[in-house]
Amino acid sequence: MKDYTKNKSPEMLEPFFPNELFRHIIVSCFLVVVELIAIIIFPLPFKLTSKPDSIPWFLLPLYKLNKLIHSEVVFISLVVVCALLFVSWPYLIPDGKGEHHNLWQRPIPFAIVVITIIFVITVCILNL
Amino acid sequence: MDSNDSQVVVSETADKSFLRELIEANVTRRLIPKGLSWFGCMGGLSLVAFIIQLSTGIFLMFYFIPNIRESLASIQHVSHSVPYGWLIQRIHAIGPHIMVGMVFSHMLRILFKGIYRHPREMHWVSGACLLILTLLMYYTGSLLTAHNVNGHHPIHLTRIYATHVAGIPLSMALFMGIHFFMVRKTGIFESL
Repeated sequence: MKDYTKNKSPEMLEPFFPNELFRHIIVSCFLVVVELIAIIIFPLPFKLTSKPDSIPWFLLPLYKLNKLIHSEVVFISLVVVCALLFVSWPYLIPDGKGEHHNLWQRPIPFAIVVITIIFVITVCILNL
Repeated sequence: MDSNDSQVVVSETADKSFLRELIEANVTRRLIPKGLSWFGCMGGLSLVAFIIQLSTGIFLMFYFIPNIRESLASIQHVSHSVPYGWLIQRIHAIGPHIMVGMVFSHMLRILFKGIYRHPREMHWVSGACLLILTLLMYYTGSLLTAHNVNGHHPIHLTRIYATHVAGIPLSMALFMGIHFFMVRKTGIFESL
């Protein structure tokens, strides 16, 4: 188990119980409230999945990409390749110690992420 | 008290002592870095959302019939005849949107803060697999309720149902085990 007390003074540490646990309990209660409010606001989404208006927001890029690429083989291959690239991201962008941690301090990975986000948003906006 | 009784007492005392040490080391006396961000709770919230989906899904499993003729009737039966069935059904239907939102925000935080870097690559790999499985879970679940209109083959429906209630959740449990083990081993974000 990771020991967080190494090379740290007592002022830099806090107890996991109850501080961190309490934080998680508060946000979990908030999540339950949000879910119950969402139940009241949104109707029951039992609809056809092939209809564009019932595609959930997180599957919209895939749906639009499917419309954009007519060949099923090409579409599935592209999705699989994208998924593999996504999973193996830390190994594709290797970096040594001493470099910056934050993404915006590292131009190449930052550019890749921003271009991907812009591409996904553009695909979602496209009226196909 | 004979020797067997004393052995049992010693064994119970050792068990209690081991349990106390385990709780003290992992919960009550555990120290963590001060001032962790509230956004750091997104991973925990994803787990809470998953547990909500799991518990409501188990409830719905008792009533759902994976048969092309009876499935729609079983959905309506839960919604109209079972006490609080409508509530459980709605929670199970709305939950994925919130769960995927939590997983996405957790992933974006990890990505932009560069927490996936060595030695935490496996955090990312297991987490990315969990995100893909979550999306697959939603897809298979939506097919279960939409098949009536699409006219799926009964065998396909059974396969989709088995994938939704057993295949994907078991895979998710495996990747969650890897994810939590790696988080325990290499720790949450701090200076490398």
